[in-house]
Amino acid sequence: MDIRLSGISHSYDGFEVLRDITLDIPSGKIVCIVGPTGCGKSTLLRLIGGLERPAKGSVLQLGLPAEDCLNPLTYVFQDFALLPWRSVAGNISLVLEDHGMKKSAITEIVNNVLARTKLTEFARALPKQLSGGMKQRVAIARALAVKPAVMLMDEPLSALDSQTRELLMSDLVKLWTQQPFTAVYVTHNLDEAVRMGHSIVVLSRCPGKIREIIHLEKPLAERSYGDGELQFRQKYLWNLMRDEALAADAELVNV
Amino acid sequence: MSDVEETEIARQVAFRGGGFAPKPYRWIGLAVFVMLISLAELGTQNGFISPLTLPKPSDVFLKFRELYETGLLRKHLEPSLTRLAVGGALGATIGIAVGVLIGLFSYIRAGLVPLVAAIFPIPKIALLPLFVIWFGIDEASKYALIAFGTFTPTVVATYGAVDNVDRNLIRMAQSFGLSWKSIVRKIILPGAMPGILSGLRISLAIAIILLVAAEMLGAEYGIGAYILEAGSLYDLDRLFAGVVMLSLLGVLLSAVIGGIERYVLRWRT
Amino acid sequence: MNRRRAIALIGGAAATAGLAAPALSQNRKITVGALRFTSHSGSFIAFERGYFSDAGLDVELKFFQAAQPMAVAIASGSIDYAVTAVSGGLISLAQKGAVKVIGGALTEEPGIDGQKIIASDVAFKAGVTSPKMLDGKVFGMSTAGSSFHYMGSKIASAEGVSLKFKPLQKVGAIIGALKSGQIDAWSIVPHIAKPLARSGAAHIIGNVSDYLPNYQITTVFTSARNAAEEKAMTRNFLSGFSKGVADYNATMIERTGGEDGVSEMVRLIHKYVYANRPLEKAAPSIINGTMRLNEGAALNVTSIQDQLKWFQSEALVDADITMDTLVDSSYVKTIHA
Repeated sequence: MDIRLSGISHSYDGFEVLRDITLDIPSGKIVCIVGPTGCGKSTLLRLIGGLERPAKGSVLQLGLPAEDCLNPLTYVFQDFALLPWRSVAGNISLVLEDHGMKKSAITEIVNNVLARTKLTEFARALPKQLSGGMKQRVAIARALAVKPAVMLMDEPLSALDSQTRELLMSDLVKLWTQQPFTAVYVTHNLDEAVRMGHSIVVLSRCPGKIREIIHLEKPLAERSYGDGELQFRQKYLWNLMRDEALAADAELVNV
Repeated sequence: MSDVEETEIARQVAFRGGGFAPKPYRWIGLAVFVMLISLAELGTQNGFISPLTLPKPSDVFLKFRELYETGLLRKHLEPSLTRLAVGGALGATIGIAVGVLIGLFSYIRAGLVPLVAAIFPIPKIALLPLFVIWFGIDEASKYALIAFGTFTPTVVATYGAVDNVDRNLIRMAQSFGLSWKSIVRKIILPGAMPGILSGLRISLAIAIILLVAAEMLGAEYGIGAYILEAGSLYDLDRLFAGVVMLSLLGVLLSAVIGGIERYVLRWRT
Repeated sequence: MNRRRAIALIGGAAATAGLAAPALSQNRKITVGALRFTSHSGSFIAFERGYFSDAGLDVELKFFQAAQPMAVAIASGSIDYAVTAVSGGLISLAQKGAVKVIGGALTEEPGIDGQKIIASDVAFKAGVTSPKMLDGKVFGMSTAGSSFHYMGSKIASAEGVSLKFKPLQKVGAIIGALKSGQIDAWSIVPHIAKPLARSGAAHIIGNVSDYLPNYQITTVFTSARNAAEEKAMTRNFLSGFSKGVADYNATMIERTGGEDGVSEMVRLIHKYVYANRPLEKAAPSIINGTMRLNEGAALNVTSIQDQLKWFQSEALVDADITMDTLVDSSYVKTIHA
């Protein structure tokens, strides 16, 4: 299943945040969205997932999601959004319980995603016992459990320290390599963008417009920390964004 | 390094941190009780404190034993505990239900929040005569008074707690397509539980206070009736025995809620 | 000038009170507690007509809402003298060495309209037309150990019936419960009983004096310290108070001053009782409330003895309290009847 955004504009109380965004998200690819603070990256993600309605334009699903897909558009949040009163396994089963599945079927899925994210031995732990990186792995496992057609990742690694981020990035790459998934990956971190994205969409500052789309051909599994080519791409991105970022930073915050 | 020492005076940096971190010293609380009670005993024994001012703690204790041995303790405790249980359960249940409804539905909130704010500050004792007319002089009016008194603080605590449930969790649940019922049951209720329980702590203390008020009208037995009778007879031994019963009841209820909190909220950091 | 005229007017009354002329301790400041009831008229009259000042006392009246806090105020020394019914609380305070009964005031006297036994309309219609029918009925009282408790209990034992007592704390609450039929019967002073009966909310079914003739309802009391150490001051107070009582009885019961005397007296009392109602509305209530106050604050010790025994038999007060603990009978004439 592909996603097509056609001519999307959006504003809050007359304050325009996104203008005329047209973009295709092809199946099986990771599309990174980068841009300066307040350029509407997260808003765009909420529009794609149906948590908000665009003021203009439309979000289209092209084709049908796979038969066994429980929640075609699935988010991974920056703050993990785990229920503190449920165990790791409980947090994952939470999103399966409303689908009229048998208990044994739920357990099977939970065990499967726990194994894929190397969390099996933490199944009974409570979120308060986990580190930030572990919590995000639980959130990713939860997202995988509903077999999404598209993963909508809202700065998934931004709350983590850089070492943990590095580890989790390679985990994500491994997961994708085992079984390619479609994802929209919003980040402000250019290093993440060049490591994770098959294509990178650069938004301008407010109101967010598409400035440029960069395609990276190098397979994800071959991208690594300190790769020369990637650093070159990253520098290019930074040059694109620097002036925008400077201007955005100097603006009054409009909340 | 060595020439620094020659030219500069080396001084230890003065410590200015520490404090502002409560540490648990359990025995001190007990010691304060023991000290105050022995002071009272000593003072009343040697006449420094007149029998008009304070009863002898030992007399109060004897009164307690007498109450226990004559079976009167049970006779007074049973109706009071029943009133507390029925009234408190009624008030807390309706309070939590209304509080959740206010938290969930904007129309109900708009309609009921001003009403709750209006009845919150009414001293429920003032309404006792009215309750007697509405519910009769027997148990129903006592249940109603205690229920009414626990209802308002529970409502306020509950809808506050519902409001404070992490919106990110709700957004997450919606993004996974959870049904409205599931969101309420699995996210809002458990998320509001800490606030509801700390509200209950206050509500139940109010219930104990109102127990005495409820037993002002037409109660022959009950801790409140016992205290009121002791007061009108100026029998300080009985008065204190009754007050101690209320205090113990308060400590007990607080411990019960503490236990529930530890169990239900063990996920809390 | 006003005072001089007053002295001239009541010279005779003072003589009949039969008390030794007070040793004038000049303008001793004391505080007298009172409730806004006609039964406290002795104090009001003595204050208004200057009998207390004649006795060398500079009196300040302090008003209370109920007898209980007044007794506690005496015990704590906040007020010096007051009038109240004998209750479990008063006996308890006496036991603790805080208060002493030194004289008598309101009395049930056969032949004079006194406290009434009343039944609620509901109970009356169900057949409670006399105290004999009260078996198993609910009797209102303020608290256990109050005078209502005593009266009800005495009536029940005289009639051989058993009553259930409901503590309702306040007179207002008892009246409410009676009107709504939540209690069946009660005993109360005539100026409350009669309007209730007239309004149809209750029915008078008997007189307390039939069961408790010579019942010493209220007593004059003071702190144990005043009784023991301030004998002169106490005598002065009682002499002033007795003059007030004598005026009251003469005007309101014997009607020596005729109707004019009554209406003048009512005007005086109205300053303190039912002051929130206009005089013409208050007057009937004040007149209805007329009951004899003991001349010379004489004390019926037989009645007091009986009350003490009853409180002890109900285990409301300790069994080892004696009359001497409760009463100092050295100040006034005692009645044994």
